[in-house]
Amino acid sequence: MVRYLAKRIFYLILTLFIVTTVTFFLMKIMPGTPLTNEAKLSPSERNMVLQQYGLNKPVWQQYISYIVNAVHGNFGTSFQFSDQQVSYLISSRVGPSLLLGLQAIIVGVLAGIVVGSLGAIKKGTWIDTTTTIVSILGISIPSFVLSILLQYFVALKWGWLPIAGWSGFAYTILPTLALAAMPFAESARFVRTEMVDVLSADYIELARAKGLSKFGIIYHHALRNSLIPLVTIVGPLAVNIMTGSLVVENIFAIPGIGEQFVNSVVTNDYPTIMGLTIMYCFMLCVVLLITDIIYGLIDPRIRITGKRG
Amino acid sequence: MKLRSMLEVGAVGAASAFLLVACGNNSGKESSSKLIQWQQSANLTTLDASKVTDNTAFGTLNNSNEGLLMSGENNTVKPGVAESYKVSKDGKTYTFNLRHSKWSNGEPVTAKDFVYGWQRTVNPKTASQYSYLFDHVKNATEIGKNKAPLSSLGVKADGDYKLVVSLTKPQTYFKYLVAMAPFYPQSEAVVNKYGNSYGTNSNNMIYNGPFKVTGWTGTNDSWKLVKNNDYWNAKNIKFDGVKFNVQKDPNTALNQYQTGGLDIDTLSGKQQVNEFKNSKELHSAKGATTFYIEMNEKNNPVFKNADIRKAISLAIDRKQFTQDVLGDGSTPAVGYVAPGMSKHNGKDFTDDAGTKEGVSYNLAEAKKLFAKGLKETGKKSVNVSMLSDDTSAGKNTTEYLQTALEKIPNLKVTAQNIPFKSRLSRSQNGQFDMVVSAWGADFPDPISFLSLFTSDGSYNNGKWSNKEYDTLVQNAEGKDANNAGKRWDDLVKAEKVLMSDQGIIPIYHQVTPRVIKPRVQGIQFFPTGSPYNLRDITLSNK
Repeated sequence: MVRYLAKRIFYLILTLFIVTTVTFFLMKIMPGTPLTNEAKLSPSERNMVLQQYGLNKPVWQQYISYIVNAVHGNFGTSFQFSDQQVSYLISSRVGPSLLLGLQAIIVGVLAGIVVGSLGAIKKGTWIDTTTTIVSILGISIPSFVLSILLQYFVALKWGWLPIAGWSGFAYTILPTLALAAMPFAESARFVRTEMVDVLSADYIELARAKGLSKFGIIYHHALRNSLIPLVTIVGPLAVNIMTGSLVVENIFAIPGIGEQFVNSVVTNDYPTIMGLTIMYCFMLCVVLLITDIIYGLIDPRIRITGKRG
Repeated sequence: MKLRSMLEVGAVGAASAFLLVACGNNSGKESSSKLIQWQQSANLTTLDASKVTDNTAFGTLNNSNEGLLMSGENNTVKPGVAESYKVSKDGKTYTFNLRHSKWSNGEPVTAKDFVYGWQRTVNPKTASQYSYLFDHVKNATEIGKNKAPLSSLGVKADGDYKLVVSLTKPQTYFKYLVAMAPFYPQSEAVVNKYGNSYGTNSNNMIYNGPFKVTGWTGTNDSWKLVKNNDYWNAKNIKFDGVKFNVQKDPNTALNQYQTGGLDIDTLSGKQQVNEFKNSKELHSAKGATTFYIEMNEKNNPVFKNADIRKAISLAIDRKQFTQDVLGDGSTPAVGYVAPGMSKHNGKDFTDDAGTKEGVSYNLAEAKKLFAKGLKETGKKSVNVSMLSDDTSAGKNTTEYLQTALEKIPNLKVTAQNIPFKSRLSRSQNGQFDMVVSAWGADFPDPISFLSLFTSDGSYNNGKWSNKEYDTLVQNAEGKDANNAGKRWDDLVKAEKVLMSDQGIIPIYHQVTPRVIKPRVQGIQFFPTGSPYNLRDITLSNK
């Protein structure tokens, strides 16, 4: 296990390094500079400002100094927010995105498991059809449409919840629901398909023959085995959602990180792009690692040992 | 039940498209907050007067700090920290008499704070993107190039309350410049105290204006302007302050406005503006901004032909475009220099310089001129691209222009919409055939527009060149600079030359439509320089 972990961590660092390098050079290919009002500067003034930011050096020199600084935990200062540390920019805005993402994953996946199982148990009935339709809708309705609908009806028309903003739990409910649609639909679909398979397996027949209660069979045997494929998708899905959704954050005015990422790309805010990319990549790698470990815990057939690989 | 729920879902889906169009108009509800709730579409990026570049920051700074003078109505300036000022006969020396006023930390605001603030902005180490505004101040340009010491800058403190400024040549519009943020006083002690974190959050800053900024962490989405009791004119500030809320989605913002969560909201696009067309809450602030087409004469020699340039301009129906396509209150271009910005002897610049030439619509004439131009250049057809931003206004513009211009036989136009920064970079590197550019004046003087299109102008992306124009602009900035009448005539003539030769093709002047609740009275918006003034606001609470 220790050797396995060490190896995985080595790969994690390698992945981070490759992703950082590729992003850095891709970013440099993008046209434009980070200057906000470039159109008003004369060429000499422009050069002066670029010099201040170290952007007049050859790209490879910029790359080396970036890597060296990043290893020391210094991601530079943002161009958009003058003199603001990128690490501060990220840490001060990542909280709301993480919280919403976490809530959405929990709500979405739990609801998905219930609905998916229900569909599988009542296979072929109207309940199954309804749950299937609902999960297809969940996948195909874009989150911004759902956001707008929720905002219009629940907040504006009925006045049950705040329209937008970020000052308390009530403000998180609508964006959480909008974000939860996708994980809900995905997990409902997976669980249904998987459970239909499992329910027709011999060991379920055996459990039935033993006279176990219906609930007991579902809970102890069918559900547990149906969750394995779910674990694979939930990890990456969680990272995707927790790193913030541009549209949902915009619509509900969430002071999160999703919008900053898009903005940093549009404004050529190189240090912020790099900082966020490294963070996303790190999160994804860690989640994949955790997924593998959980895999082993749920399914005894999969064992991570020092001998493997 | 299945059928019913499906029907409901279907109905909701169909309704969503309709809802986007039909959000109710009559807002009725008003906030009872003691602060004015104001929507902003961008984050606050800095409070450092030397580093400010965007409108959000300018607006916040202009009302939390104050320069020697400040913007007043109808493009005038009012006394700020300077009670009065004198200009020498040759127009090269300005003497400002400062009032006794205080910073928010209780220290006095002195002439030394101005000297320090100006030096800091000009200092190349500060990397200010607005240092070019100081180019008439003695030695500013040399200091920027590291060729002169900082102390040689033409601004000196004569005692604590007198500031003497030396210019290299007369500049009648200098009074507007000193009202802008880069010319604000800065306390050396405070700048040194906070070092790199100066102005990066609301605590690492002091204020000498009517309001203090609070609650800004440097990256968050809301901040406040609260009354500054140390302000010299604090007794005339009649309300508690403003809370700014970053709200990037225009529909959400309007929903909040309509339910009383916001007092001031900037509208976006035709649809939202139409909703308030007949409402007293709609305020359309005219900005001194002109959108125009530049034609790349270097890349595409066919644009060297004046008939071709004129033909393209004549094919654009600016009235139809602004009304039917943009529909946000923007007005058809009356020339390159925007109207309502500068006056001489009571007449607006555009009245004096206004010719229909260069901005009128006549498709028949356009076709005739284009055919003539083709003959002159020996071409059978012209196939060009039209570059613009990838915003919805940018896409609407290229789409309209493509349709309008292709009514001319043998002219084919391809639209290219790319992100703002890429568009700027391609414009500057000459990688375009035609590009839709925009220019907003920094200060209310026609030179802020006209200095762009001299042959060596760094934003003359199309490389249009006209000797007469160059001489006129040069005279206005040089030998006629201190003679208001002659200088005005030079600028009027320059505009006429630019239009009659169709050096560029003006399309429209931008307007910012906002809705403001009736409880907020007395807010002033300016077309150039500082975006708005909150000092005269009264807030009625029901």
